[in-house]
Amino acid sequence: MTSRAEFFDRIRAEMGRTRELAPMAPSVRPARPRERLDVLRRELSERWRENLQRFQHEFERVGGVFHRVPDVREASEAVARIASERGVRRVVAWHAGALGLDVVAPLTTRGFEAVAAPDAEVAGNERERRRALAAAADLGVTGADLAVAETGSLVVVSGAGRPRSASLLPACHVAVFDREVLVESLVQAGLVLEAWHDGTAPPWRGASINVITGPSRTADIELTLTRGVHGPREVHAVFVEQGLALRRV
Amino acid sequence: MSESEPATPFRERAGQALRDSFLQEALTIATTKFIGLRREAFDEFPEGEALRDRAREIKEATLQRLDHYLDRLIDNVERRGGHVHYATTSEEARGIVLDIARRTGARTAVKSKSMATEEIHLNDALEAAGVTPIETDLGEYIIQLAHERPSHIIAPAIHKTKGQVAELFARELKRETVADPEVLTRIAREELREKFLQADLGISGANFGVADTGTIVLVTNEGNGRMVTSLPRVHVAVMGVEKVIPSMTDLAVFLAILAKSATGQKLSVYTSLVDGPRRGGELEGPEEFHLVLLDNGRIRQIAGPLREALSCLRCGACLNVCPVYRQIGGHAYGYTYPGPIGILLTAMLNGTESVKDLAHASSLCGACLEACPVRIDIPRMLIELRKDVSERRIAPWSERVVFGALGRLLQHPALYRVAARLARLVQRPFVRGDVIRRVPLVFSDWTRTRDLPPIAARTFQERWAELERAGRR
Repeated sequence: MTSRAEFFDRIRAEMGRTRELAPMAPSVRPARPRERLDVLRRELSERWRENLQRFQHEFERVGGVFHRVPDVREASEAVARIASERGVRRVVAWHAGALGLDVVAPLTTRGFEAVAAPDAEVAGNERERRRALAAAADLGVTGADLAVAETGSLVVVSGAGRPRSASLLPACHVAVFDREVLVESLVQAGLVLEAWHDGTAPPWRGASINVITGPSRTADIELTLTRGVHGPREVHAVFVEQGLALRRV
Repeated sequence: MSESEPATPFRERAGQALRDSFLQEALTIATTKFIGLRREAFDEFPEGEALRDRAREIKEATLQRLDHYLDRLIDNVERRGGHVHYATTSEEARGIVLDIARRTGARTAVKSKSMATEEIHLNDALEAAGVTPIETDLGEYIIQLAHERPSHIIAPAIHKTKGQVAELFARELKRETVADPEVLTRIAREELREKFLQADLGISGANFGVADTGTIVLVTNEGNGRMVTSLPRVHVAVMGVEKVIPSMTDLAVFLAILAKSATGQKLSVYTSLVDGPRRGGELEGPEEFHLVLLDNGRIRQIAGPLREALSCLRCGACLNVCPVYRQIGGHAYGYTYPGPIGILLTAMLNGTESVKDLAHASSLCGACLEACPVRIDIPRMLIELRKDVSERRIAPWSERVVFGALGRLLQHPALYRVAARLARLVQRPFVRGDVIRRVPLVFSDWTRTRDLPPIAARTFQERWAELERAGRR
């Protein structure tokens, strides 16, 4: 078995044999990414309308369905409408604290079987049960920790109350977001990723970040574009004008 | 040497591919479509050209301090509770994965598409050890059912028609179906969903490993990468050492060009960042995370002639534009990695000997260099490889004799003139109309696939000399 030391000895020996390399540098990493991000967020807050418009355009281009609602009450309405239009019965959702709204109560009163994720560690058998619920669900409701206008992407960070499966296992995924999470470009998303990884992560943070750009797709058979091969066939983004009160990443 | 030599010679494999009319049609449709999609994506992305240069610089910068960045990646993965393993050979890499499977009592493993695990032939080893590997990328799933190997880096079943896939599903899955991609995809979803939920082990590759944060990045369109890294209780990622990049800022640069080059998308549907095993409070995620760092011929190229190929992102753009790949497809190459970059990677993994024929499977037209998102000079390295093949005397003797003689002729003008005059006489019996179609003996290989123009009644040199004399008068 090769050890770390042996592995590195060989790498260093080969590196020592290289000649006449023009020195190159990687990207300049921001020294204080969190502070830089705060500055960027303030700048972006003045351009959110343009960014939202571009996000909608790109999101629809990749096959997403865009909704715009004034407040959280209407956001729940929108989720319920999507669910009933699709003849959905079972819904799994992020915890209300991570989502910024409670969708379980309004959905339950309308006769849906809706379950929100717990926002603290639960035992292994309970995790199994929860996974089975997500696997059987027809619709998953999540927040979005970032919305990238340039690519029409939604970014979800996993963690307590933020199960990965809600945006993956059900055939229909609905993400609720507000202007706070809008950025213009992939480059800015890079800065956000720097900030999220800077210093110690908050205790509720999970180990998975997903940049989602449209519904699951494949073109593996004769390059014919087909949706929903493993992940959701449909992705909806619900923009809440008034903003969401929630714990941010 | 990690991969065994194909049973039939390259010429035969290529000939077979050229006679396969299904394959010819599938290749033309697919590569033409890929080329168009890529062009459109870059046309509406003017900053793309500068980003390609930037991406290449980042790769080169990382390589110049590879020990530093790998060290950092390893420290950060371990800090997050992951385990790191070191594999010098493909055999060692297989052993590491098998050990993990054995120790965790794994019975089935779901895999997301990974060329690194193809390269080390992991599936056969898993099966032999009693662990059932299940490929979950639709294309990989299809070729696994058909007991074949991928024929394209990103579209592994590109050589199959929907009719062939329907027949395959009927035979292997006992599911009668129409030849409709939509229906076939739904069947695969149903079959594989169960496997995802039951599997003990998830095996993936890695598109990037971010040194600063210890993050493994996977890019997929189907979502199988997310399943594999979230549902089984153990996740193993196999990553070539050259996949490390310094920071998240660098990652953004690569993401901006990778999908555009591969499929013409602005981004692939899922870019998954894996920060180690499940953390407290999460409902899903593996209890164990393992990173297998793979050498397998890469490290000796840090100072070797194929160094540039260590920048490859595995996007497949060079395959689609290559006039040879477009004619013969991936299987004819005979090894894991097809296409122009595949020849270089095959040489990297298996030595120059393995590409003594493949090194010539290129017209050196330069289309690959133009398409490569990080501008790898593939034609230059192919020429180097040809030189190496020739110098090591592993080329056929006839080729060495003919090229040796030609080399001397081209260096001595007087000799060349005499030879041209001589050839003009000798060629007579072989000229048909105004071409030479076939020349016997050691030249027969050359003319088997090529027509030659005959040597002119008056050569350029002779006419030039006459003109010069006329001018002086």
